[in-house]
Amino acid sequence: MGFRITVDGHSHSIEIVGRRPHLVVRIDGREHEVSATGTLEDGRQTIEIAGAPLHFTRAHAGDGLIVRLNGRTFDTAIVDPRSETGGAGGGLDHVRAPMPGSVVSVHKQQGEDVLRGETIVTIESMKLQTALAAPRDGRIAALLRREGETFDKDEVIVRLEEVEEA
Amino acid sequence: MNKYLAVDATSVSAHLPFRKILIANRGEIACRVMHTLRELGIASVAIHHRVEARARHVRLADESIEIIGDTPVAAHLDIAQIVAAAKACGADAIHPGYGFLSENARFAAAVAEAGIAFIGPDAETIRLMGDKISARTFAEAHGVPVAPSVMPSGDLAEFTAAAERIGFPLLIKAAAGGGGKGMSIVRSAAELAEAARIASSEAQRYFGDGRIYAEVYVERPRHIEVQVLGDGEGNAIHLFERECSVQRRFQKIIEEAPAANLPEALRDSICTAAVKLAAAARYKNAGTVEFILGADGRFFFLEMNTRLQVEHPVTEMITGVDLVRAQIEIAAGRGLPLAQADVRVRGHAIECRICAEDPERGFLPETGTLRYLGVPEAPHLRFENALDTGQKITADFDSMLAKLVVHGGDREEAIRRSVDALGELALLGVKTNTDYLARILAHQAFRRGDLHTGFIAEHATDLAAGEPAAATLDAVLIAAALGFREFRDIAFGVPEPHATIGRWRN
Repeated sequence: MGFRITVDGHSHSIEIVGRRPHLVVRIDGREHEVSATGTLEDGRQTIEIAGAPLHFTRAHAGDGLIVRLNGRTFDTAIVDPRSETGGAGGGLDHVRAPMPGSVVSVHKQQGEDVLRGETIVTIESMKLQTALAAPRDGRIAALLRREGETFDKDEVIVRLEEVEEA
Repeated sequence: MNKYLAVDATSVSAHLPFRKILIANRGEIACRVMHTLRELGIASVAIHHRVEARARHVRLADESIEIIGDTPVAAHLDIAQIVAAAKACGADAIHPGYGFLSENARFAAAVAEAGIAFIGPDAETIRLMGDKISARTFAEAHGVPVAPSVMPSGDLAEFTAAAERIGFPLLIKAAAGGGGKGMSIVRSAAELAEAARIASSEAQRYFGDGRIYAEVYVERPRHIEVQVLGDGEGNAIHLFERECSVQRRFQKIIEEAPAANLPEALRDSICTAAVKLAAAARYKNAGTVEFILGADGRFFFLEMNTRLQVEHPVTEMITGVDLVRAQIEIAAGRGLPLAQADVRVRGHAIECRICAEDPERGFLPETGTLRYLGVPEAPHLRFENALDTGQKITADFDSMLAKLVVHGGDREEAIRRSVDALGELALLGVKTNTDYLARILAHQAFRRGDLHTGFIAEHATDLAAGEPAAATLDAVLIAAALGFREFRDIAFGVPEPHATIGRWRN
């Protein structure tokens, strides 16, 4: 049984190849025996890989998990198999805020057609203005922030209508 | 080791005239001040905007008063409201912390007028030091070195003659300038006349004003500052220097005390200059005199901060003096807590500012929700913060979340302990510069003490995160997988009780 997990946006596969007496997983052709598996809880955890203890810290955040290990912090998420079959356009249906800030001006309306690279809204963050452009050709399904409204990093500002696969 | 207490630890606070002090601040510094108030047996009063009604500084205080404002920051800057709050609760004194109103002369005046003691200098001194020109003129008049400069001039012959007297390298700037236009570095007398002519004509073209001025150009400048204490009667001492050269976006992120590889004689001259300034100003409070130090050993006055500094704990760690307590005692008219001869340096201390920001994206501020906080603990470290799990990290306040302050027997040990502590620190739920700070401390140039304010730009490539090794990546994937319920259900066959997980989708 295989899973896909993203680490800082890069997708990797991890496969369960054994369950008794210990869990064995395969990653990129490398097999690892996991003899102590910790719990689901947030906080400090210790597991054992190939008999050696591995200490790390973990916290659930939204749908994902933050893992801190060897002095480095990683954002991880499990890929829902349904979304993976949803076609290549999946990541291009939204325009997300690259940083927290506020909307300075909105250049398009709901229902309007846009070309890839066209500016849809202009935002301001840290006194710097940035244009948010359409990630692909399409039609605007929703503008979720109006002029003067604020948002956090990664919030969806614009949604494009989904496209039918050819 | 007691991490805060002054040299004469047994309290004489019974004689202090203050029974209750309002802290006109929030976050870690409000908590820091309350720590000392508790030791002195003085009641503490917090102020808070409604968005921070349950914040740690509010919970830690003996009482708290809500202040109203359109934004939390506006509330914390509302002089009339804060003074009224202090009067209403019967506070004898106000401690301003750093930032907010701490260097606001009108605030100091309003507090004094209300018959409340301001823990800081008087309004006049704040005004004198708050203005760059008047502070510079005052420093120069009292024999403190300032960067030699030639005042704006349109007469090129007069200008080059005056500039030549300063020496080289020189930086020429447009008087009306900005954005690097009309700016140039001149390294010898031979280039001067032509460089001045070009700069002046550029200035004329861009700004319609051909006047140019020149100042000494400091190469690979270091930021060295001196902690001083003054009693307001003209007596002042120093508690040695701090080095704050590692900066990004013109803000410090790593500070240490004492400075690395500073020749003894040079350190003496810098500290003596700072004391001279504080004494001449009849300075009353803890304060910091900032200098810029060139690779050639010349140093110049930058400015004086008339308040407690963010990085004050490194000085406390090497001298054993509680600076908040010293401020309170001075404000109470008890004079300086110790004589210069009794100030001793013990070991080395480093402070790292933990900020919600992304070093990989130009240090832009980050927001999020704090999901887990795991703090290293040891007698040699202080983790100064006011964080709570579940707390939202917003853009309402400064991006500094906490300070990790570490002491070591020498600089090498302080660095090693800091790197270990940063590795152990887990602040999950918002992106921070924690790992970036560890990479700076581990860098060879930092270890050698080869510091200057361009350190981060100079070593940008070395300091980037880089790709994790395959073994690390595998470990991360296994650690992550075991945190996902879907994975555990398949791996172990038996669904685990839902109660073991905090938050989960569906």
